[in-house]
Amino acid sequence: MLGALSKRRPPIAALPAVLLLVIAAWETCATRRDAGAVPDDVAWDRAAAIVRAGYHPGDLIVFAPQWVDAVGRLHLGDLIPIDMAARMDAARYGRIWELSIRGARAPDTANLAPASEDEVDGVTVRRFEREPAHVLADLRDRLAGAKVDGGAASLELAEVGFAPHRCIQVTPVPGRPVQITFAQLPLGTSLVGYVGLADVFTRRDIRAPGSLAVEIGGKTATEVTPGVDDGWVRFELPTQPGNADVTFRLGADAPQRLICFAAETRT
Amino acid sequence: VRTRAIGWALAAITFACVIVNQRDVGIARDEVVYMNAGSRYADWWLHLGKGGIAATFGGAPGGSNNSEHPPLVKTLSGLAHTVLHDDLLVMEQFVFHATPFVIDDLTAYRVPSALLHALCVLLVFTMVAELWGLAEAVIAALCLLLLPRALFHAGLDCFDAPIMALWFATVFAYWRCLDGRKFPWQVGVAWGLALATKHTALLLPGALGVHYIAIAWRARAPLHRWRVIASLAVLGPAVLFLLWPWLWLDPIAHVRDWIGFHLHHVHYNYEYLGRNWNAPRFPWHVAIVTTLLTVPIATIAAAVVGVAAGIARWRRGEARDRERAPVLLLALSLVASMGPFVFGTMPIFGAEKHWMPALPTICIAAGVGAAWAARRAAAALREWWPRVEEPLARRIALGVVGGAIALAAATETATAQPYALTWYNALAGGAPGGADLGMNRQFWGVAARGVLPVIAREPPGPVYTHDASPAWGWYQHLGLLPPGHGDSGWEVAGIRGSKLALVIHERHFNRHDYLVWDAYGTVQPVFVLRADGVPIVSVYKRP
Repeated sequence: MLGALSKRRPPIAALPAVLLLVIAAWETCATRRDAGAVPDDVAWDRAAAIVRAGYHPGDLIVFAPQWVDAVGRLHLGDLIPIDMAARMDAARYGRIWELSIRGARAPDTANLAPASEDEVDGVTVRRFEREPAHVLADLRDRLAGAKVDGGAASLELAEVGFAPHRCIQVTPVPGRPVQITFAQLPLGTSLVGYVGLADVFTRRDIRAPGSLAVEIGGKTATEVTPGVDDGWVRFELPTQPGNADVTFRLGADAPQRLICFAAETRT
Repeated sequence: VRTRAIGWALAAITFACVIVNQRDVGIARDEVVYMNAGSRYADWWLHLGKGGIAATFGGAPGGSNNSEHPPLVKTLSGLAHTVLHDDLLVMEQFVFHATPFVIDDLTAYRVPSALLHALCVLLVFTMVAELWGLAEAVIAALCLLLLPRALFHAGLDCFDAPIMALWFATVFAYWRCLDGRKFPWQVGVAWGLALATKHTALLLPGALGVHYIAIAWRARAPLHRWRVIASLAVLGPAVLFLLWPWLWLDPIAHVRDWIGFHLHHVHYNYEYLGRNWNAPRFPWHVAIVTTLLTVPIATIAAAVVGVAAGIARWRRGEARDRERAPVLLLALSLVASMGPFVFGTMPIFGAEKHWMPALPTICIAAGVGAAWAARRAAAALREWWPRVEEPLARRIALGVVGGAIALAAATETATAQPYALTWYNALAGGAPGGADLGMNRQFWGVAARGVLPVIAREPPGPVYTHDASPAWGWYQHLGLLPPGHGDSGWEVAGIRGSKLALVIHERHFNRHDYLVWDAYGTVQPVFVLRADGVPIVSVYKRP
């Protein structure tokens, strides 16, 4: 009997059918599991309660992955001012709350170690603490006092690289750069800025890049050419502490380049 | 007779599934244009040209008469609305002095697409039953019926399910007409109907031409079945001409406008693998990867087995219907539908709906593969249990394998609805997995229907309706919104004048969130509609 059974090996002929059965069974189970894999509002409420209990005014709250941002704002949006959501970057924030699902991390907390971490029904709540950047001057706050030549500049809440940014927007006439000069700007050890092209539809229809040059004390310190797919492009240059005239020159060879930038001087 | 009855039953089930499913599906932006145009086209035919051709069908492409798309499906939907809604109500009033049976306006317009989808299932079933057998045919038809995205598209008054049906009808008729019949008119008429449905039918002669050359070369007769080609060449354009009155006036210029519109079509925004694409050159693998993530995995696996089985049979010289080479024909049909997207210049914004005619080939391969695997398993089963009779073993194996594949596909399909454009298959990880991969969230503003109950609970006031703007009047007409929630208008002016605002989430629509934040002074929505946890529509309320 045992000898007869030992001769009955699983016939290889059945392998395709077995494979199909395994795949179909896995798909049937995985489909339902995936559909319920994202934390619901009850989980988000509990996670939000942790944030509210430890929240200090001025704390930055971020969500990951990016696609769950709307759900995060639904539960904690009252603690997120528009300018925080449309920040230049996260460097000026000393405390950051990150609420994430599915093991994602927000770019703002990259390389930071959490001071606390809680898991609530699939929502991970992490609090980060660090020494914030010391901002001497935010150029967006000084636009009203700046000298603008060759066109107009306005402070906008713009979409750049599919993200919100409060930034100084200029649309130069092709071949005629717009110059924005911030007189006697207090400088620290660095000037950090970002630039990009606003508005997805003009980026689609006109594919040419824009350009931004920074002059400090009459000397060109850096040049950036943000393209249509580059998003929010960072630039940083070392500066000598003190006051100096800083000029941003924005240009384009094509029309409808909505060049938007933000910059801070930091120590 | 029994086989034919099964085919018709599957077609009837398909029609019922589409009609039931579409009740929860919102109105696509383009549907509104097609419904309006369709009613005018139908009136024109019913009133023997009243109003004139130019006023009904004409104008520049992109205009309100929708002259950039041929008229067949629009005309059918207009006729369906007239007969199934307007006339039915009048008749019921006359007979019963009441209206006990009401087909709502929207459903009436969508009936032709659902019928054509059912026809596609029937034709797939018929072809497979003739070539491979009943089991293969049933599984192939079920695989086609249980395609989540195809079922969704079939429930819209659009051209995507209809072109799949009429493309396949042309393939089917071409194959049938290669039997040497004297008057193979069917293939020419089918292609003409496909041409009158959507411009992508222009890709079909590529597949049929290569196939014809292959079988003529094999037959060593350059004029082998030449009447089939003559039918395509003569009847195809003739049917298109006959059905499209706009071509009766200055046909060459209007054909040039029609094709030119699509050759130079604007590239809408489309998210694919984490990047927003709106200008060529697009990745060569868009059609392949999107198909792998939007067709149930069990169906794809069975299709792979089917291809392997087909290659094995071909190498043994056991290919079915060698003279007419149907497997080569089906393969070429798939290549003609998906192939152009490899070059990176074809618009990709509609994703799988642009290459839906490839799906019957995949489902046929799945049916053949599943049945082949099941029969081999049945043979193995008998080796283990010789007392089990062969027919029983085969039935059990076919039932288990085919049933498991159908169950997996049904689970995916049920999970996907009614927001199937947000859904991705288990390989992607469902809708959340698709979002993680950076795949397109949705298009056409369909999901807005899901927030109508939320809007309806709010006090009356103008609503910024975003991408649902074209459908808003329809939602009000259907009674899904109480009076007082009118559309506040477009973009910044519309947002400024609104009390409520909705934003339909696609990556390139993020700017609408920011416009609302700026106007309302808050980043906090009051409601976020989700499909399996993935945000698809946010509703903001002015503080």
